[in-house]
Amino acid sequence: MLLLLLAIPLAFAFLCLALPAPRWRLVSLVAGGWAHLSVVLWLWRQPVGSSAGAFVGLDPLGELFLTLISVLFAVTCIFFVGYHQKTLVSERVFLACMLLLLFALSLVCISQHLGLLWVAMEFASLAVTPLIYFRLGARALQATWKFLLMNSVGIALALLGIFCIALADLRAGQATSLTINILVAHAARLDPVWLRAGFLLALVGFGTKLGLAPLHSWKPDAYGEAPPPISAIMAGGVTLSALLGILRVFQVCCAAGLAPFAGFWLVTFGLLSIGTAAVFIVRNSDYRRLLAYTSVEHMGVLVVGIGLGLAGSYASMLHALHNTLNKGVLFFLAGFLWRNYRSNQVSDVRGALHRHPVAGIVLLAGLCATCGLPPFGMFFSELGILLAAAARQQWWVVAIFATALAIAFVGVMTAMLPMVFGEPSEPPGLSRRHDAASGADPRWRNGTMLVPAVALALVAFALGAYQPAFVKDALARAAETVVQPSTTQLASSNRVHNPPRGLATAGLDWLDTPAPQGRAMTAQGIALGLGAGQGNKPCKGALIAREPVSAPLQGSDRLSPLVPRALPWADLAQGFALPSLRPGRARALAPEVIP
Amino acid sequence: MQAILDAVFMLIILLDLAMLAVSRLASCIRIFAMQSLLLALLPLAADTLHVGIPGRHALLIAGVTIALKAIFIPRVLERIIRTGEIHREVEPFIGFTASVMIGALLAAGSFAVARRLPLAEAPLSDLLLPASLSTVLIGLLVLISRVKAITQVIGFLVVENGIFIFGLMLLPQTPLLVELGILLDVFVGVFIMAIVVHHIRREFDHMDTHLLAVEANSAGAASGGEG
Amino acid sequence: MSFWRTVLAIPEFALVLALPPLLSSIIARTKAWFGGRTGPPWLQPYFDLHKLIRKGAVYSRTTTWLFRAGPIVNLAALLTTATLVPVLSQHSLISFAGDIILIAYLLALGRMFTVLAALDTGSSFEGMGAAREVTFGTMSEPALFLCLAVIAIATRSLRLSEMLGPQLFAAWHAVTPALLLVVGALLVVLLTETCRIPVDDPATHLELTMIHEVMVLDHSGPDFAFITYAAALKLTLLGSILLHAALPMPDRLAAVGPLLRLIELAGLALLIGVIESMTARLRLNHVPRLLAGATVLSGLATVLILTRGHG
Repeated sequence: MLLLLLAIPLAFAFLCLALPAPRWRLVSLVAGGWAHLSVVLWLWRQPVGSSAGAFVGLDPLGELFLTLISVLFAVTCIFFVGYHQKTLVSERVFLACMLLLLFALSLVCISQHLGLLWVAMEFASLAVTPLIYFRLGARALQATWKFLLMNSVGIALALLGIFCIALADLRAGQATSLTINILVAHAARLDPVWLRAGFLLALVGFGTKLGLAPLHSWKPDAYGEAPPPISAIMAGGVTLSALLGILRVFQVCCAAGLAPFAGFWLVTFGLLSIGTAAVFIVRNSDYRRLLAYTSVEHMGVLVVGIGLGLAGSYASMLHALHNTLNKGVLFFLAGFLWRNYRSNQVSDVRGALHRHPVAGIVLLAGLCATCGLPPFGMFFSELGILLAAAARQQWWVVAIFATALAIAFVGVMTAMLPMVFGEPSEPPGLSRRHDAASGADPRWRNGTMLVPAVALALVAFALGAYQPAFVKDALARAAETVVQPSTTQLASSNRVHNPPRGLATAGLDWLDTPAPQGRAMTAQGIALGLGAGQGNKPCKGALIAREPVSAPLQGSDRLSPLVPRALPWADLAQGFALPSLRPGRARALAPEVIP
Repeated sequence: MQAILDAVFMLIILLDLAMLAVSRLASCIRIFAMQSLLLALLPLAADTLHVGIPGRHALLIAGVTIALKAIFIPRVLERIIRTGEIHREVEPFIGFTASVMIGALLAAGSFAVARRLPLAEAPLSDLLLPASLSTVLIGLLVLISRVKAITQVIGFLVVENGIFIFGLMLLPQTPLLVELGILLDVFVGVFIMAIVVHHIRREFDHMDTHLLAVEANSAGAASGGEG
Repeated sequence: MSFWRTVLAIPEFALVLALPPLLSSIIARTKAWFGGRTGPPWLQPYFDLHKLIRKGAVYSRTTTWLFRAGPIVNLAALLTTATLVPVLSQHSLISFAGDIILIAYLLALGRMFTVLAALDTGSSFEGMGAAREVTFGTMSEPALFLCLAVIAIATRSLRLSEMLGPQLFAAWHAVTPALLLVVGALLVVLLTETCRIPVDDPATHLELTMIHEVMVLDHSGPDFAFITYAAALKLTLLGSILLHAALPMPDRLAAVGPLLRLIELAGLALLIGVIESMTARLRLNHVPRLLAGATVLSGLATVLILTRGHG
């Protein structure tokens, strides 16, 4: 069944190469994307799971990412039909590379073997390279070269990291395997020195592909030069695959009790990325490059969240979900604006709301979402991460995170709001002339470009306003896959001077909080949120830091400046102001909702 | 046997340093090819040392490595140099003597680090780990300290060589499929790089990436004819 | 030290002192052969020395005692060195712990006086040569010291005749790579210190880029004889250090040792002749790269031997 995921893109890629008519090639692309999506959805009905030692398998984490990538790809295919015009490069190769990229990304998601994961990821970056070099010319060439070189070197370092992990296992003197679940199961016997080295190398390596600062410099060039649908897939899909690489290694580190070490580096790199992005966002005049910097920022947010334990991981998964939807929306609109204004410059695009009301509204919505304004999911994910940091009393994380996000918000909004609201400066004759020249029907094209964007925006809005239980469940299970509470952790939690307690709390408590009393019981928060979600209430504040009974006042005092008192969503507020929840109750709740 | 292996690893490090010292692109490529050839023989030596005769796994890896890294890739790179009207000197950001000194420091550092890393079983030679680390580091140095696109490709390849040496410690454990996948990926990657270098040369008549950056910035923003 | 060894040491030392012009002759003949010429007679360097000794010296009025002292101190320093370095047998005339440091300083002293004498003439041409000599000397010295350090660590001794003796033979088995690097570095040091191609061209003083020959331009008569002899002696001494390091003699060969060493020295001279014939002199600004290379080699050898231990 899993092989079908690989076979479909491959088959349609060959079809693209073989079919003579351009129209049929496009049909083949769309068909490939949607066939893949349908298989993915079918897999949700019939879970495959992963057996120990198998090279491929589908755990909750892989499944979540696979779904996100597949959805984004399917929607992008539709957008591409509208966006597509005559190309300078071979169209066959271009379409085939897109489908090969889908193949590689699927392989990344389903691979359970670190070596296979690496091979797939390198294949993905090789498949993307021709897609970036789409416009030909100096700038595209420079972008392609930067992308290719930095990614190749990064991923080479990641390979070294994977070898280090294999060596950590080798030290145990038994037959070694690089399969994730075997590594996790035998995590206790891994050699910590090699594991640390492996994690750092993998973080730097996959971080290059993810676009973490200071190795992000390829990103603005590549996203700015690649055609927008490709940028959308890169920002929403390829980054997920790179994140998966980091998560797989982090998974092993967590299981081996190295979570404080690994978490520290994740948070550091994440904050550095958010800060760097915030600095570069301000006064950027090219809106596609600007979007690329927001991507750097969001990757930073994701990584920070993962470094903050189970609560943060949950928020990160939520963030990944919304990031994928959001980047789709924004890059689709960037493509739309490029087609209609023929310019990448912020100053050339003015008053989209007047000329294209639908596009204007969706762009506004996308911008609000990317900045983390409340009706959208990123608000909750970013808030969740802030709270997770606050709950662990890492105030410096809270401070840098909040400040950088605020700067980025101001930067994005000052640059891009005029694009939506400003006075339309030039007569729209330019684009009409162009469209007349190319002989295409602009209405049909614009429609095909806008429908996917609108659809993604609606989904993003809906998921922000109301999260169905199955989504929440999928996110929670994915988060748990990364930071799984297991017996090895309990053992290691003793090492970090935390007495092992219930299984539900153990996943969080081994982290480096000073005293049991001061610890925020984030698992309770999840349990609470999920419980509320089952009662069919919108429950965006699923991630609530809670203080145990023993120190209720102290904790809520500390949290109080961060808590917005008058939020309209009842259960969010309820989450913060909830009467002290006994650990026992959380434990009672947890098994029901976190299977 | 052990002495020969030691000498081979030493030679690999020396080739790294030589890579930093030479000023002609063609010699750079030749040094890389020699290094790759040495590397390819190592799995065979490992098997001979442990089992007696080289196994099929080792033979295959050695064969593919020789074919790709010692013959094919150097050929492709040499072709690019020969056909292009390019200046055949390396043009470093950091002077030759200085980069050799930095390279030597990096190598010394790898010796120091490798000594501290715990190893369960004795590897092929106790020079393996330092040789691998210094090859990776010097590859990165070549990558960042040289101007031309083609030297950057060579730097990347040297990094890959270092990782290959590191992988020797895991040879019996890594599945053949994965290993061949890695080699194939490197190969395709270099092939695509070669194509891009070719395009860079056609576009700019030279392979100078830092000049590239300047020109690209001065080119107008809406210059592209996307279609 | 046994009686016989003491007795034999005197003729051996005399032989060592007589040997250097012959080595120069071998090099010259080799180069001539490569050039398709017959070359000077084998004993020509001895005739030259004899001729120079008989001549009178001319001293410029602007020079001081330093100019006169230069060649003499240089020769004295090298003669003292000759008593400390084992050339033909395993043993040197004088040997004590730490003698390698004295050797290094004696070599430096000789160089310093040559340079001072060159500067004393006040000629800009000679000053240039002096500057180069000092520059390259500074750069080759770290390599020399690191090489000696590696050998000292490998043999756990600071006594040159022990360092180059049978212990080294045993050490070769343990730390082959490090010692191979040392030999490579020593060869470069030898070529630099004795002003040979590819660093310097001893055949001419007429080019602006020469080093050693330029410095001694104003010396004449016996002074120049001293300088020529001292240069050849330096080649012999450094060459035999290189040979002892590269091809240490096991105990069982001690009987035929001196004879073997003689042949090896001739071989080394031949090798130098071949190198001089086959390679072109490096451009002046490339010489530091070569010396840096030698330093790097010896540095790597040091790291290797430090990390791997010995024996």
